[in-house]
Amino acid sequence: MADTRPLNIPVILGTTRKGRMSAHAARFVVGQLAREAGVITELIDIADLPQPVDDAGEAIKDAGFSEKMNRADAIVIVSPEYNRSFPGLLKHTLDTCLKEYIHKAVGIVGVSSGPFGATRVIEQFLPVLRELGLVTIFWDVNFGHVSKVFDEVGELRDHAFVKRTDKFLKELIWMAETLRHGRESIALRS
Amino acid sequence: MMSPSRPPLECPACGTPMNRHAEKLVEPTGEDDASHVDQVLGGVIEEIYCCPACGTNADRRWKPDPAGS
Repeated sequence: MADTRPLNIPVILGTTRKGRMSAHAARFVVGQLAREAGVITELIDIADLPQPVDDAGEAIKDAGFSEKMNRADAIVIVSPEYNRSFPGLLKHTLDTCLKEYIHKAVGIVGVSSGPFGATRVIEQFLPVLRELGLVTIFWDVNFGHVSKVFDEVGELRDHAFVKRTDKFLKELIWMAETLRHGRESIALRS
Repeated sequence: MMSPSRPPLECPACGTPMNRHAEKLVEPTGEDDASHVDQVLGGVIEEIYCCPACGTNADRRWKPDPAGS
């Protein structure tokens, strides 16, 4: 019997910086995901989460964020490139959970003001996501020269990103469905 | 040698027997974890479960078999 439960795929906006252009990319991806049948999504802005610095790891877990990761079948992470890496607060946020991520799909959307679309971020991010138990997909979206891709209010100027994002999301959804089946039905061998 | 049988974990939301789909090796983080450390693997095994009926996730830590199986 076909599974009628929708896939839950939130989008994490991984920067708190003032004037962040990644917000435009994140909202665009949320909009594209919302068009997909059988998918529910929401934007999770790490700027809205508490960022305590008096402890480390899962001890500072935010209950709301944890629950959202627990319910997720896959996640999209939108990350800018700051000095050739991802924002520290994004890593700080992700590190507050672990078991919530296991055997769930993740796709990365890179954003940069320069030409490379945060490809360097994505390459660095893969081992981190692997250790968290997430399953990476082989499509990315790279928003290079982001100020040319979106206008000042976030309207898409470069419509090539519709097709690029569609390919990325189709792969992510396939992986999300497959991994949900595995989590629920395929037992780890003893 | 067979692994010791694990008691089934029931879904906290609907009571359905859950599927154990993963084991993740994690660092011990508290005093209570000390008795859970697997000396061979060098960490604590966290078992990850998912409910086939409603999708609820759950986890538990498993004390290693003293015989090392």
